[in-house]
Amino acid sequence: MTEARYFEPETVDEVVALLAADEDAKCVAGGASLVAMMNARLVEPSQLISLRHVEELQKIELNEDGWLQIGALVRHCDVVIAAELTEGNQVLSQAAGLIANPVIRDMGTIGGSVGHFDPAADYPVALAALGAEIEIAGANGRRSVPAGEFFIDWYETALAPSDLITSIRVPPAPVGSAGIYEKLAKVQGDMGIAMVAVVMAMAGDAINYLAVSVGGCGPTPIRLPDAEQALIGGSVDDAALQDFSNKLVAASDPVDDVRASAAYRKVLIPRFVAQAIDKAKAKLGEAS
Amino acid sequence: MSSSETIALKLNGEVREAAAGPTTTLLEVIRDQLGLTGAKKGCNQGVCGACTVLIDDKLARACLSLAVNSVGQDITTIEGLTENGEPSPLQQSFVDNGAVQCGFCTSGMIVSSHALLQANPQPSIDDVRDGLSGNVCRCSGYRKIIDAVRGVAGD
Repeated sequence: MTEARYFEPETVDEVVALLAADEDAKCVAGGASLVAMMNARLVEPSQLISLRHVEELQKIELNEDGWLQIGALVRHCDVVIAAELTEGNQVLSQAAGLIANPVIRDMGTIGGSVGHFDPAADYPVALAALGAEIEIAGANGRRSVPAGEFFIDWYETALAPSDLITSIRVPPAPVGSAGIYEKLAKVQGDMGIAMVAVVMAMAGDAINYLAVSVGGCGPTPIRLPDAEQALIGGSVDDAALQDFSNKLVAASDPVDDVRASAAYRKVLIPRFVAQAIDKAKAKLGEAS
Repeated sequence: MSSSETIALKLNGEVREAAAGPTTTLLEVIRDQLGLTGAKKGCNQGVCGACTVLIDDKLARACLSLAVNSVGQDITTIEGLTENGEPSPLQQSFVDNGAVQCGFCTSGMIVSSHALLQANPQPSIDDVRDGLSGNVCRCSGYRKIIDAVRGVAGD
């Protein structure tokens, strides 16, 4: 094998230029996914572009439009404690806190996880529920892609080879909302069998905001905005919830893998969603 | 840079020189070149935790850290946790509690425990379990490891 070359650029433009010049170049952020794949000889990058000196990627900032901008290099451990993630947006900090183990949370970055897009990863599920956007710098300039369009298929995202994720933008939390992120795994720290993120707000007994995203049960996180909308104004009653869960099961496309069978996941979804919605309701009750 | 270059690492408070190419891991450098064999190469995938070190006071897998990408950072290995050449209270607690069986996981367990105790000096049993969830002991000697960590807590 030819030895890779190593660069430490300081600006996003330099990174994009390096990526555009060589499609086998890879960016290194925390290293948690890329170096593991290099050690297993699954990838042999021709160039390694360290992002550690690119200032722009390191910050968490509240933008003027109220959206929270989380730099691609922000580590999971810092998302866990990000005070700006309030109310329903706490699904993101909860998800970050359930990624792998303390060591990986100290190393891994949000941009790295989102760009690698393991379908059993935690962030995509939370970002889909939040309607977050992925900010990208590429050969043709900058663009923003909604999470729902960014995650395309197994390990496939909207990223072109010369694209760099610069940040994740999270919209303001719905007023009075609560967030619940849940993950079912065989042992603590493992990738999830299934994950669910619920962002909910209620006025009295009626739901007035609901977003539900299910992960680990298909190539991309499952969200059904029309079905969510149909629950608005109603109470969290069992029949309506069962109907909603059935639609999620129908939209799922799980596989048999080492963690669980596809059939198991289909049985799991309705129970898991009902449990998360119950917990969100309880959390809203505590808050009011 | 391409091929091997001389780099200077800040390791346990000293500057140490080593040769590293772009894909050389920190673990390879500290074990094979610098002779610090406390950190172990277990899975080389970041799963087992035997190579755990501290980089700028945060936990890191040395096997997933590129040596060239660690230049300028403060790296602490198990060898750097001793106090004036003597075992630290945490290290001594592992000895006193019989928390070492084959010993392969011990360095990583102690580095992770050290970070846990820095953040939370009085961890509950569950806190210790969470804190060590990224370290695997295949002798399954977890109970004594938890005793060892809690044995030093608050001292």
